[in-house]
Amino acid sequence: MSSSPFASLLEIAAGLVIVCAVVTLWRRSLSAIVKTLAVQGVALGAVALILGLHQHDGVLVGVACLIIAAKGAVIPTLLARVLARDPRSRESTPLVNVPASLVGAGALTVLAYSATRPVVALVATTAGQLIPLGLATMLIGFFSMIVRRKAISQIVGLLLVDNGIALVAFLATAGVPLLVELGASLDVLLVVVVLRVLAAQLWSRFGVFDLDQLRELRD
Amino acid sequence: MSNVSLIATASAGLGAAIAGGALPSKTRVASAVLLTWVSCGAALAGAAEVLHSGHPLELQSAQLLPLTGVTLSLTPLGAVFVVTTAVVAMASTLYWLGYASHGLNSRTASVALPLFVTSMLMVPCAASVSTFLVLWELMALSSLALVLNDQARREEARSAAQWYAVMTHVGAAAILFALVLLSAHAGGQTFAAIAAHAKHLSGAVRSTAFLLAVVGFGSKAGAVPFHVWLPKAHAEAPGPASALMSGAMVNLGIYGIVLVGDQLLGGGPAWWWLCVIALGVASALFGALYAATSTDLKRLLAYSTADNMGLVLIGLGASGLFAATGSHATAAIAMVATLLLLVNHSMFKGALFLAAGSVQVATGTRNLDRMGGLMRRMPVTGVVFLVGALSVAALPPLNGFVGEWLLFQGLLHGLPTTSTVVVFAVLVGVGALALTGGLTVAAFVKAVGIGFLGRPRSGEAADAVEVPYSMRFGAGLLGASCVVLGLLPMLVIPALERAARSATSSAAPSSVHGWVTLHLAGLHGVLAPVLLAAGLVAAIAIVASLRRLAHRRSNKWRALRPAEPWGSGRLLQTPRMQYTATSFAEPLQRVFDDVIRPARDLDVSHAMESRYYIERISYRSTSDDIVEQNLYRPIIGAANWWGERARSLQNGSVHRYLAYGLVALVAILVVIA
Amino acid sequence: MNSVESVCVAGLVAIVQIGAVLVGGPLLLGVMRKVRSRLEGRRGAPIHQPLLDLRKLITKQRLRPFEASWVFGFGPVILVATVAAVAAISPLATTRPPLGQSSDFFAIIFVLLLGSVFLALGALDTGTPFGGMGSSRAMTVGALAEPALLVAILAMSIPAHTSNLPALVRIGLAHPVVIASPARLLALGSFLVVILAESGRLPVDNPSTHLELTMIHEAMVLEYAGPDLGLTMLGESMRLVLLLGLLVNLLVPWGVADRPGALAFVIGLVALVGKVLLAGVAIAVFEVFSAKLRLFRLPELLAGGFILAVLGAVTAVVSR
Repeated sequence: MSSSPFASLLEIAAGLVIVCAVVTLWRRSLSAIVKTLAVQGVALGAVALILGLHQHDGVLVGVACLIIAAKGAVIPTLLARVLARDPRSRESTPLVNVPASLVGAGALTVLAYSATRPVVALVATTAGQLIPLGLATMLIGFFSMIVRRKAISQIVGLLLVDNGIALVAFLATAGVPLLVELGASLDVLLVVVVLRVLAAQLWSRFGVFDLDQLRELRD
Repeated sequence: MSNVSLIATASAGLGAAIAGGALPSKTRVASAVLLTWVSCGAALAGAAEVLHSGHPLELQSAQLLPLTGVTLSLTPLGAVFVVTTAVVAMASTLYWLGYASHGLNSRTASVALPLFVTSMLMVPCAASVSTFLVLWELMALSSLALVLNDQARREEARSAAQWYAVMTHVGAAAILFALVLLSAHAGGQTFAAIAAHAKHLSGAVRSTAFLLAVVGFGSKAGAVPFHVWLPKAHAEAPGPASALMSGAMVNLGIYGIVLVGDQLLGGGPAWWWLCVIALGVASALFGALYAATSTDLKRLLAYSTADNMGLVLIGLGASGLFAATGSHATAAIAMVATLLLLVNHSMFKGALFLAAGSVQVATGTRNLDRMGGLMRRMPVTGVVFLVGALSVAALPPLNGFVGEWLLFQGLLHGLPTTSTVVVFAVLVGVGALALTGGLTVAAFVKAVGIGFLGRPRSGEAADAVEVPYSMRFGAGLLGASCVVLGLLPMLVIPALERAARSATSSAAPSSVHGWVTLHLAGLHGVLAPVLLAAGLVAAIAIVASLRRLAHRRSNKWRALRPAEPWGSGRLLQTPRMQYTATSFAEPLQRVFDDVIRPARDLDVSHAMESRYYIERISYRSTSDDIVEQNLYRPIIGAANWWGERARSLQNGSVHRYLAYGLVALVAILVVIA
Repeated sequence: MNSVESVCVAGLVAIVQIGAVLVGGPLLLGVMRKVRSRLEGRRGAPIHQPLLDLRKLITKQRLRPFEASWVFGFGPVILVATVAAVAAISPLATTRPPLGQSSDFFAIIFVLLLGSVFLALGALDTGTPFGGMGSSRAMTVGALAEPALLVAILAMSIPAHTSNLPALVRIGLAHPVVIASPARLLALGSFLVVILAESGRLPVDNPSTHLELTMIHEAMVLEYAGPDLGLTMLGESMRLVLLLGLLVNLLVPWGVADRPGALAFVIGLVALVGKVLLAGVAIAVFEVFSAKLRLFRLPELLAGGFILAVLGAVTAVVSR
């Protein structure tokens, strides 16, 4: 059981990250999903911020601010723009129904928890105890890329994976090198832009964002 | 002194069977029932002695069975099963007295039913492999005769009996292999010899024996996916027989797993028990889901049996798992919870099956969609069924609730361990417990509400009359025991603890204390069933009398007025407009569409004059057991295919058959040479 | 003498807690309706309107459909009685309610379930299509809500090592970090979803609708008249207050009397009223801005509640 305000704040922020991951599977409205993603970005930033303040690490605080700006504001705005172009695709179209995918997410969380057991035993800090949540976020991201059909859902899944990796990195090492984090974030930004272009192409060619349509390109 | 009760049980039971077979039809049922009661009474006395003293009753006779002799030993664990069986058997045979005028009065039935009861009383006493297997087989055959009895011409009954015969013998074969494997390695066929030698067995032998036993005994307990016979046979068996099968026989499947896993092998690695938990979770969820969607009253009860046995298996697995990971206190609680769930299940499921048998006698149908309004026509049966239903739905202040509470506490307090598998298993267990709990409530609200309440949906239901007294008493006895055990679970818990200790051969101190309030030893968990019930009754009395007072004051003592139901202003209300069991279950069925995969069939025929007028709509929705469809049908299909191929071997020529014999002989000689 | 005195005190506490829930139920309903109408630009009925309705209903005559059995009349009585019995032993105004030692969360939930079951049976007993419809839907929602509820209880019980309700509230008072832990918060989130589902609020059921295609709970009570209707209304509102009271005490336990004494108890009572009122207003505001879900979208909502509870339980084990 945690005992200090630092620990419980950290727990809540990390908990929020994974709850947001689950919520992206839960909600159907794509705009709500994008908003959830923004909240998750802020929560991830908060984790870094709390860690940075606790360890008096100025660089980490800087990274935290960058994350909040990039993942809490820039990327969601970009995604929201993509959404705004197609008024017809307001809902995600799940391949697996929502309750089943939620149960799947629960199972993945438990799996993440079991798999990281040895790692957690090594890291005795409060932050280390929360590593399973990062891994779970990552797995849920993968899962959501598999079970959702829309191109935008794929981006969301990718971002979840990225956020999960970032969370693990923060919690495990208590401080990713700035360069690495920036590189990773830039990578993702690039991917978002590429997918945005792809989505725009899809839109102009087929009038939908449905990735299943890509199969037709083969013929 | 001690052996007398065992001898008396067996001989009175055999006497009952002989009386049932020899006496003329007027007296045979009554005398069989009387002698069965004597047999049950003797068994109860013996079991009480064992539970009180803690020492097993032993009996050996080399002459009774050729080659091997008979070895009997009634341990505290067995005694719990004997007591449960005896209580259910006494209620069911009492019920049989009245039921006999509606069926189950043939000579075969009068022999088979006492034999069935006696073999169930003796199985937990068996102390050697051969004795056990003989009694086990006797139990299977006599119950098979009861399933088939009087109705061999009905297609459903024949098919149910076939399924039952095949499944029970596949199960018996697995048990046979398990026990023979153990006794071959132990060098002796008594259970004591096997238990003494179990420590020296290799892990592979132990695990093989355990898994075979889980499959064999699990099929008797109705664990998914070995359950397919259960909804068929339990539904087709006549009232008292189905109560005995569901209330007593399935218990012995669990007894077998405890016997092999704990008593003979002395516990095992965690993965054994994870298998048991997995089996339990599958049975619980599957059984509850099918119970919630079935429309046949007795099928519903049978699926609910699979569900309850699933919960029992979860408890059993959790107990073994906790013991394997070293937390013995919680293991003891889980074991007591398991046994309590079993005892409770026998009481309420016995009551429910007897009440369902009464309904079948009174209305001639098991289809819920043709019932309704029976609470007014059959008040006693209705109340017994209601009590049983509330009990199986784990609602306080009845016995089902105490069992599930104890299981929940056991799982909760099992969590503070460092083992990941335990955490995972507990989470899955609680999730399954909760979902099956909810589905069971829905299933039994449906059974009571559609079957007994509302207006009759058919002429037969409208003309139903209450059944004879003996049937009411028989069912009522079990219903009353649900209430008593719900209020005073401590009547049985000390005995269950003794049984649990003897099964796991642990020296753990008793884990549940207190008469009025139950305390879990060393853990923070308290429940006061009596006080809870008293509070509820007081609150109900106060609210009811206040309502009465208000009603009288304002209505000048006018009586409660029966009126045409309003129904949102509909002018004509017919019973056909009521919800049926099918429609009641429709939302749940739709939620779990992907699991159940019902076949729906909508047929609209239009009137000749215009397509805008509809003449008739017929809607059919059938949900077959998916395990049967997807697992057993292919196997049966493959077997048939091989059978067809094999037929070409036969052409009726004697020469050819002789040639086969010669070829086989030559082949064997070649192999030997 | 001392034991007699303590029994008297316990009785008094029970009576006051029941009374608070009894009066508070209809009043909270009135407040929620008032908030709703104000936000929609209407003036709305006075806050004590539900109490006036109750007074009127009590003086009316009881009716019973021709073919109904005793179960029909029993339904409303059991509903109110179960809620009252639970209210007596729950940690509402004090963490030392009578029989508090045995006021187990698991047990309390099942006692409340007894009331819902009898209401559903009473609805089926009317022999009308509406009763069956409401009963079937209510049982479906209940069956799906139960996993979320029990796993939520498990998640809250893991850090406290008990499922005893007063102990769960007390541990929040003693160690505020337990409340701030994700385990407790997630479990309470799940509990809130279940409360909304079980007491027939939006987005699960619209309490002010009478449209047959949508309604769940209202369909069950259509055939009740006079005192019976009053009792069902009372019972439902009492249950909402009771569950909200438990929720707020588990979320923000401050104010609850943790030691014996009249003053502490009165403070606890006032704090309870304040907290429940806030929660009720929050729900009412939320209801104004939300629409009812389709019946077949409900599994998604409840599965969400379930997953919150599972996450809570997992994090409870992680951070232990």
